[in-house]
Amino acid sequence: MEPAPMTAPRRDAPHTPAESALLAHLGRALGSEGLRASALSRATYRRDASFLNADPLAIALPATRDELAVVLRACRDHQVPFTPRAAGTGLAGGATPTGVGGVRPLVVSVARMDRLLELDVVNRRAHVEPGMVNARLGRAVAAKGLRFAPDPASQIAATLGGNVATNAGGIHVLTYGVMSQHVLAVELMDTDGEIHLLDGRLPEQTGLDLRGLSVGGEGTLGIVVGAWLRLLPAPPAIGTLLAGFDTLEAAAATVGALVTSDRLPDAVELMDARAIALVEDYAQAGYPTDAAAVLLLEYEGLAAGVSAGVDTAARLAGEHGATEVVRAADADQRARIWKGRKAVAGAIAQQAPDFFLQDVVVPRSRLGEMLDAVVAIGEREGLIILNVVHAGDGNLHPFVLFDRREEGVLDRVFAAGHDIVTTALALDGTVTGEHGVGIEKRDFLSQVYTADDLAVQQAVRRAMEPSGLANPDKVLPTTVGCQEARMVPEGAWV
Amino acid sequence: MSTSTAPPAELAPVVDAFAAAAAGQRRLVIRGGGSVLDRLPPTDAEVVSTAELTGVIDHRPEDLVVTVRGGTPLQELAALLATHGQECPIEPLAGHGSTVGGRVAAALAGPRQLQAGRVRDWVLRVRMVTGDARVVTAGGVTVKDVTGYDLCRLAAGSWGSLGLLAEITLKLRPIPTQSAWFTTHLPAGRILSTLYRPAAVVSTPTGTFVHLEEHPDDVAAQATVAGLEPAAAPRWPTAARAAVDPARLREVTALAASAGLDHTAFEGVGVCLVDGDADAIATFGDRVVRLGGHLLHLDAGAHGGPARATTTDAMGERVRAALDPHRILLDPRESR
Ligand SMILES: Cc1cc2nc3c(=O)[nH]c(=O)nc-3n(C[C@H](O)[C@H](O)[C@H](O)COP(=O)(O)OP(=O)(O)OC[C@H]3O[C@@H](n4cnc5c(N)ncnc54)[C@H](O)[C@@H]3O)c2cc1C
Ligand SMILES: Cc1cc2nc3c(=O)[nH]c(=O)nc-3n(C[C@H](O)[C@H](O)[C@H](O)COP(=O)(O)OP(=O)(O)OC[C@H]3O[C@@H](n4cnc5c(N)ncnc54)[C@H](O)[C@@H]3O)c2cc1C
Repeated sequence: MEPAPMTAPRRDAPHTPAESALLAHLGRALGSEGLRASALSRATYRRDASFLNADPLAIALPATRDELAVVLRACRDHQVPFTPRAAGTGLAGGATPTGVGGVRPLVVSVARMDRLLELDVVNRRAHVEPGMVNARLGRAVAAKGLRFAPDPASQIAATLGGNVATNAGGIHVLTYGVMSQHVLAVELMDTDGEIHLLDGRLPEQTGLDLRGLSVGGEGTLGIVVGAWLRLLPAPPAIGTLLAGFDTLEAAAATVGALVTSDRLPDAVELMDARAIALVEDYAQAGYPTDAAAVLLLEYEGLAAGVSAGVDTAARLAGEHGATEVVRAADADQRARIWKGRKAVAGAIAQQAPDFFLQDVVVPRSRLGEMLDAVVAIGEREGLIILNVVHAGDGNLHPFVLFDRREEGVLDRVFAAGHDIVTTALALDGTVTGEHGVGIEKRDFLSQVYTADDLAVQQAVRRAMEPSGLANPDKVLPTTVGCQEARMVPEGAWV
Repeated sequence: MSTSTAPPAELAPVVDAFAAAAAGQRRLVIRGGGSVLDRLPPTDAEVVSTAELTGVIDHRPEDLVVTVRGGTPLQELAALLATHGQECPIEPLAGHGSTVGGRVAAALAGPRQLQAGRVRDWVLRVRMVTGDARVVTAGGVTVKDVTGYDLCRLAAGSWGSLGLLAEITLKLRPIPTQSAWFTTHLPAGRILSTLYRPAAVVSTPTGTFVHLEEHPDDVAAQATVAGLEPAAAPRWPTAARAAVDPARLREVTALAASAGLDHTAFEGVGVCLVDGDADAIATFGDRVVRLGGHLLHLDAGAHGGPARATTTDAMGERVRAALDPHRILLDPRESR
């Protein structure tokens, strides 16, 4: 996040003739349930789970594909940009209705399109609408002995459409891969209201993998109106292990040893002392409170492989100086171990008025260096930073805690965030592993990619979405600079 | 950062060749090992070979990633990785002199795709020379990266139609502790629903073959549960390959059998390989298309048309034009 100066939002600005015409048309087509334009509604949709916020023109909430087509065609006809939105748990400002050149976009929410269209148990796949919540699909398929692998920590709120649009990660990425690996086909609607089936169900394609391109499009390539998702059989055996360490280095070194052992764990999460203290207070997960770091490890699959994996992990942790190693004896104990990890955001919300969550990735072998750097950055800026890490993937999520009433604190928060990103880049890492670019990371892209790289990205974007109306100021750096986004929400902090 | 370094000098000849082709309105076809290209109908496009672009650039065993030049033979890469107990499970089961770039560009599905996933899911970063002679990088050397659009997946299966894959970074994994083929008379459907995530299930007219890659005790236990007998790896026909929605594979296999074709199916993947009379293959291909699939002829002499039916897809054409605006690069499946 760049602490660039922002202009004040245009609140209750008068509508242009095009905007008035659009709103009148949509009001007739969608009714009061499908179009909201009051100041209160607009305030609710100012932001996602990031810092950024801006005033939208209005919010369209179509209930069907046909209604959505009406909305998108109206945007096209009146040349009004739009911001796709689902649950709004995004952390990069992707669903924040910033616009280009002072034009307020229409927020287009798919939240009402939330049906499970088909569950094909034999062929292990599901056809879903974009507004369906991730965990709801998980519950529906568990009853059939199946599982949907992508499990972002936000899965009780985030939607599958949002997961597709951000190419979400989760806890089991190490062996199961990111969202894209579980998306068989995407139905993408363009501004003519036409649906493109980007089909990856065939094992070999006749054309290009536009499905893969659309996953992670962050709302800039059109609106995902449906997806075919791959399901897997539930694993017959699961082994979970908790290991405590005296130093961060020892925990990081254990991760390195695990990744090069003869069987990859399916999940490797790391939490540092501050994270441990916070969640133990809140969730009593049974983590050793005197440890500098804990590792949460999981092996899934057939019994012998799982138990061999857990044995190897216990041995490697011991060899790297683990002070405590606990194997989950049953499902209850396993759930308790994971409860701590899943409670991080809740615990933070209870203890610190505000937090800023970063998302960077480094090669796994640089994890120790990166963790040291985060600690140093926190000390230098006088900020409390706690580390929750998808360690097996080298994906760090430093949480910077603060109280925005403290004067000048935001400058330090942004400086810390900025330095965390540049440190990751210097270690051969990258600026975002799973939360996306949105608007927050957009200006870092010119540090990652050359002008030619970005020109090709821009050309591909235009080829996919020629109207230029879909989330126009997101993902790729523009010359316009910072639009009407504000770093700090005014009024209530929800 | 590795991504924004200057393009290596070794790519200058490719850049020059692409620029010259655009200026002279000539068409080019990229050639890796030729293992697939040589089985497609001949073209009069000028060949750009990756034979000079070989070798491993950076192997980081501790990060489970490797970066290689596009022309590196797959077998050379596999041999290097094996010395570290690692693999990238996209190699063909038998060597055909094919290259890493050709493997990613053609993205043919092997039977191991059932468990290991698609070629595109193992590609972390590519550096390519696009049709408009730009050297462009996408992705990174970390296993997770959502920085910008996913051009790596776009490059996988692009058949040389977007650019030349000069460098490819692949994700690796440890070689499974045990790996063995078995055979059974049970139908493939039963095997798929009985066993937990087998590495591959291949059905042939003589029986079902099962590939297990697990801890030795689990391999033994699974073999007992399903009554599997140890076997050699199956061999399969190579004249043509049908790709269908895996849900319709059984219908396709039945079509191949009734047409009197030798056939082998990669279960759960959706590939049916066939061999036999050329006319029968052509008729079979038409029926596969009616089932929503397509057929790729891999027998240059046997048929008169292009290696696959041409499809029109406006969005795909626009994306292709974004990388190759002068249309200098040929997808060899479309030739004739
Ligand atoms: C506590 C917490 C934990 C989190 N943990 C994780 C995690 O472990 N892994 C992870 O990857 N992320 C995580 N996230 C981030 C977030 O949950 C994901 O990015 C999620 O995929 C967003 O889904 P959403 O439904 O909330 O989408 P939104 O926030 O509404 O939108 C996200 C982006 O997708 C676009 N979009 C939404 N719907 C559509 C659509 N139908 N068509 C086109 N574009 C669309 C939006 O324009 C925006 O750019 C976490 C967030 C929080 C708050
Ligand atoms: C009959 C037969 C069956 C096969 N079946 C399987 C199978 O079932 N599973 C399996 O895993 N493998 C299979 N293979 C292996 C396959 O040959 C290779 O995996 C690979 O696809 C071809 O690599 P190549 O270097 O020979 O490519 P080539 O034959 O030279 O080229 C293939 C395509 O890729 C393009 N291309 C080549 N190199 C590049 C590059 N660097 N950049 C951009 N485009 C490039 C070419 O233009 C062409 O379109 C089979 C091979 C044969 C001959």
